[in-house]
Amino acid sequence: MPGYISTYTYQPAAGHVPQFAPRDYKHFSVEPVTGAMGAVVTGLDLTTAGDAAIAELEEALTDHLALMIRDQDLAPDQQVAFARRLGSPVPWPHAKPMEGHPEITELIQEPNDKYAFGGTWHSDSCSFERPPKYTMLYCVESPPVGGDTAFSNQYLAWETLDPALRDELEGVKCLNSDEVGYATVATSDEVMGHTTTTIAFDRDHIEEVLHPVARTHPVTGRKALYTNSSFTAAFEGKTQEESLPLLEKLWEHSITQEFTCRLRWKKGSLAIWDNRCCMHYATSDYPGHRRHMRRIVLEGERPV
Amino acid sequence: MPDRTQTRPLPALDHPLASDMQDAVLHRPQFEPRNYQYITVEPISGALGAEVAGIDLAAIDDATMAEVEQAMLDHLVLVFRDQNLEPADQLGFARRLGQVAPWPYAKPMEGYPELTELVSGPGDINNFGGSWHTDSSTFEAPPAYTVLYCVSCPPVGGDTSYANQYLAWDTLPEDVKTGIEGRRLEHSTARAFGDHATGKGSPDATTTPVSVPTQHLNLVSMHPIVRTHPKTGKKALYVNTGFAFNFEGCSDETSKPLMDALATHGSLPEFTCRVRWRPGTLVVWDNRCCLHYAHNDYRGQPRTMRRAVVAGERPV
Repeated sequence: MPGYISTYTYQPAAGHVPQFAPRDYKHFSVEPVTGAMGAVVTGLDLTTAGDAAIAELEEALTDHLALMIRDQDLAPDQQVAFARRLGSPVPWPHAKPMEGHPEITELIQEPNDKYAFGGTWHSDSCSFERPPKYTMLYCVESPPVGGDTAFSNQYLAWETLDPALRDELEGVKCLNSDEVGYATVATSDEVMGHTTTTIAFDRDHIEEVLHPVARTHPVTGRKALYTNSSFTAAFEGKTQEESLPLLEKLWEHSITQEFTCRLRWKKGSLAIWDNRCCMHYATSDYPGHRRHMRRIVLEGERPV
Repeated sequence: MPDRTQTRPLPALDHPLASDMQDAVLHRPQFEPRNYQYITVEPISGALGAEVAGIDLAAIDDATMAEVEQAMLDHLVLVFRDQNLEPADQLGFARRLGQVAPWPYAKPMEGYPELTELVSGPGDINNFGGSWHTDSSTFEAPPAYTVLYCVSCPPVGGDTSYANQYLAWDTLPEDVKTGIEGRRLEHSTARAFGDHATGKGSPDATTTPVSVPTQHLNLVSMHPIVRTHPKTGKKALYVNTGFAFNFEGCSDETSKPLMDALATHGSLPEFTCRVRWRPGTLVVWDNRCCLHYAHNDYRGQPRTMRRAVVAGERPV
């Protein structure tokens, strides 16, 4: 048994220098929003962008982890077509797909809904063996204010951990389970009876998998912390009770303000983020308003 | 220190504090739309914070000021862009909000005893205010408002986040509310400022050094954990990470689980907004009902802010 749960002192650092080098973009403008991550892209039409522009967009995504691309006007087919240029869209089995578009999930929040989708810190579908690399969310309708998405840079979360703790966590795996994230809400009539986008969760087919607590990004080669309270049940070979004290410290650290950014939606904005190195949180602060998003996830690799 | 819990025990943490949070937040608008005559007010999140336009803070008349004060009560944090304020202009505006008080924990700005310049140098490791806190809560009467003006800042980084503590209180489960109402927290200058307070200095001191005067070294104030705002009459959670570590009559150890849970609860993203600075931006916030956090994500780049604080009342 590794001794990592009892032996170390938790001394994370938070402050850091800006996380990206300035680049000259040829096809659009990129405005970073914080020193940690996140940028707003303007001057790009995703329906007509050439291959060079798409390649540059992926470079920007690698640098900034999450991009909010403004002023698009995308029909469902066009969103799928754009997604295909960045990878392979895969269906998401936890909700009914959009009629006629098996790759798209519509996330709809009606004014009186009791549950807002994605209101915890998480990386998408990390209970899958191969979680999606990117998530792409297109805003069809947004409330006048509220409903921002917050993000947290998990490269920074890993790199600012105490080096001794990083050594101890090297090679350690976590059990990620959809039961942690979905069992409570998806089986509650009180919640699901007042919710437009419902989550399908099957207690007889719980999806769970072991993933490394620090995964290496296949493109950048950097390590990122890869555990969150929405999916992680325990460390491999440990009980939940044994695991929680350290897991809770890691989760708290992973959302340190200094690692975060917050992106505001507008109708016609499309966000893409990299689930391999950031987490996100959908803020439910828009009572009485409707919000309508279309989501596509792109196939990823098994975390290593 | 012995646990001198002479009152009832603290509430048990056997369920998540945020259990009713989504429902509560989704069904409680935080501000009413108003028709302003002299200013425009654009909320920046559903929880708190608004940008105010159409105003020159250096020349503000009474009718406009009345609207600003109303917006302050509604939104807790107001952001004014594109101002061009000399120190005297900033002080003049702060005085419209109440009595401006010097801040005794740093050297004041030359010629302006009520202003503090908060300077981050390119070699600074820490920044000023990098925790969820409310200003100067170790004082018997902490400041009501903080008026912060950006003289210069990096192009990106150094945002300030805010968290609405009315919402933090309102969304607590009833048993937790009942369990903590009437209790007080011990806010300690010595503990808040650590080595700065003992005069030892700190290896990662900021360019603006904190220096606690001798007569403040043992300053401790007991403040209620939920306070009532004197103007709105609404209750707000009054915890302060980094300034208060224990309930009155309880050890740190007994207090910590609940203190930690309340701190986490109080800064849930649903309760927050985030403000980006530009040179010429002035932000006013109400320390009686919101927390703030200064993001340290701009190391290596200089920043200069000017701060005034407006006197407040003893929390009740």
